[in-house]
Amino acid sequence: MPAKLQNDYQCLTLGMMNEQLKLSELNGLVKKAIGEAFTTPIWVICEISELKINRNGHCYMVLIEKDENGDAILAQAKATIWSYTFRMLQPYFESTTGQQLTEGLKVLVSVSVEFHELYGFSLNIRDIDPTYTLGDMARRRREIIARLKSEGVADMNKELTLPLVPQRIAIISSPTAAGYQDFIDQLTNNPAKYHFHLKLFPAIMQGNQAESSIIGALEQIYRYESFFDAVVIIRGGGSQVDLSCFDNYNLAYFVTQFPLPVITGIGHEKDDSIVDLVAHTRLKTPTAVAEFLISGIALFDQHLDDLKNRFAENIDDLLTSAKTMVEQYARSIIPIVNDKIVKVNSRLNQTIWKFDNYVKVFIKNQNYQLSRTEGSLRHEFKNFHQLQLHRLERTTRVLSVSSQRISLINNDLLMRKIQLTEKLVRNILSDNLLYLELAQQKAQLTDPFKILARGYSITTYNGRALKDTDRIIANALIETKLHKGNIISEVKTIIKEALK
Amino acid sequence: MNTGKKNVSYKDAITEIEEILKQLENNELDVDELSEKVKRVSQLVTLCKEKLHHTEQEIDKILKEMDTNYN
Repeated sequence: MPAKLQNDYQCLTLGMMNEQLKLSELNGLVKKAIGEAFTTPIWVICEISELKINRNGHCYMVLIEKDENGDAILAQAKATIWSYTFRMLQPYFESTTGQQLTEGLKVLVSVSVEFHELYGFSLNIRDIDPTYTLGDMARRRREIIARLKSEGVADMNKELTLPLVPQRIAIISSPTAAGYQDFIDQLTNNPAKYHFHLKLFPAIMQGNQAESSIIGALEQIYRYESFFDAVVIIRGGGSQVDLSCFDNYNLAYFVTQFPLPVITGIGHEKDDSIVDLVAHTRLKTPTAVAEFLISGIALFDQHLDDLKNRFAENIDDLLTSAKTMVEQYARSIIPIVNDKIVKVNSRLNQTIWKFDNYVKVFIKNQNYQLSRTEGSLRHEFKNFHQLQLHRLERTTRVLSVSSQRISLINNDLLMRKIQLTEKLVRNILSDNLLYLELAQQKAQLTDPFKILARGYSITTYNGRALKDTDRIIANALIETKLHKGNIISEVKTIIKEALK
Repeated sequence: MNTGKKNVSYKDAITEIEEILKQLENNELDVDELSEKVKRVSQLVTLCKEKLHHTEQEIDKILKEMDTNYN
């Protein structure tokens, strides 16, 4: 340090403020004072507010301290980790905490306080104590878990019933993640060839945007709630991967309130995230989730087969026992039937014997009665016959006397009628002859030929006699019949009126 | 989005098969009913197996609709 500045610094410390300084001189004094005040690195508790890594691998941060409510910022400082240190500190921190060194983390860092005339105040981080961050994360996790429990929502998703056959699966994952493709392959090519209906709802699966992105995907799935059987949140990767976005209150709360069972496979071997804790089923990897789903269906399938086999066996048993029963019945019924037949036979024989006797007696009785009836009938008939013969003879005699008398009377009557008729006919015939002669004379007077001979003629047209001019037309041919010979003439004039 | 009752048919089918099996094992089934029950169980088992192993057109249609709705 130049002698003049040395003096200035002494003046300053002595309260001698009357001298004017250049800014660089002032900053130089501040740098000197700080350098002397903080000779060794100091452990500081702070929160990373911003973090950037430049091309050379140097890490630039803004460190802050918030008040107890986490609202107001009480202190802020720039900080750097030089690339050489950062290359060692970053993997150390991340492997110990399972947590990316990133914004929002509370850290315990060993810093040397520095001041540069041009760039001002900054802290150079030399070391980092991951156990503090672990403790802080654990505390925060505990707080979130306690809050979810006190709100009574922590187990709500677990209380949902996973369907008997979870076949319609909504997947939240990054489409480019290796774990996602393996998951799809595993479900699509399962050995039992069960069919899954899979639908990807893509989301960012790590970092600060993961929370809102995954919640967005859940909101999309919610629109198809009635369609899906379950939601699967999967992410590939090992133990090194950042879990902090799954230790998020908002996302965890959203999962507890989701109406479908949520199954997680977010690829962390060591710890469960809060989302894992509140999920319906927590599995370590996407592969494990796929196995879980397949085995769930296989279980159902097995149960179905068991029922089917039990059913078939029971049916067989039932049929066999029914068959045996029928056979037993058949066997036991034969002697009963035989016995019955013998009994019936003997009864029948008895009845036949009785009947035979009865019939014989009956016939004998009937025969006797018949012969008696025959005798009396014969006698009756003989009497009747004689009586009838006698009556017949009498009637015949009466009839022949009557007939002779009638025939005498009739002969006489007939003769008289014939004579009368002869006389009548003769009279009628002579009357008729007289009348015939008169008619003949009259007919000779009116004979047309006799009239024609007296100079009359008959004119015909079309074979019919003409009496007037009505049917005649000019030029018609008419025929006139004379006493001797005919004339055919043509009509010249027709005079309608008769000549007076 | 209503797609009918998902999975209910699996549950219904199993419940019905178990019910019939119970009747059978308790000798509550008449021999005359057997043929009908055998037919029913076989039908239900086939239905489940079909659903387990094959896609359904209706479901594929809904999944496709989601693609057009999903932004």
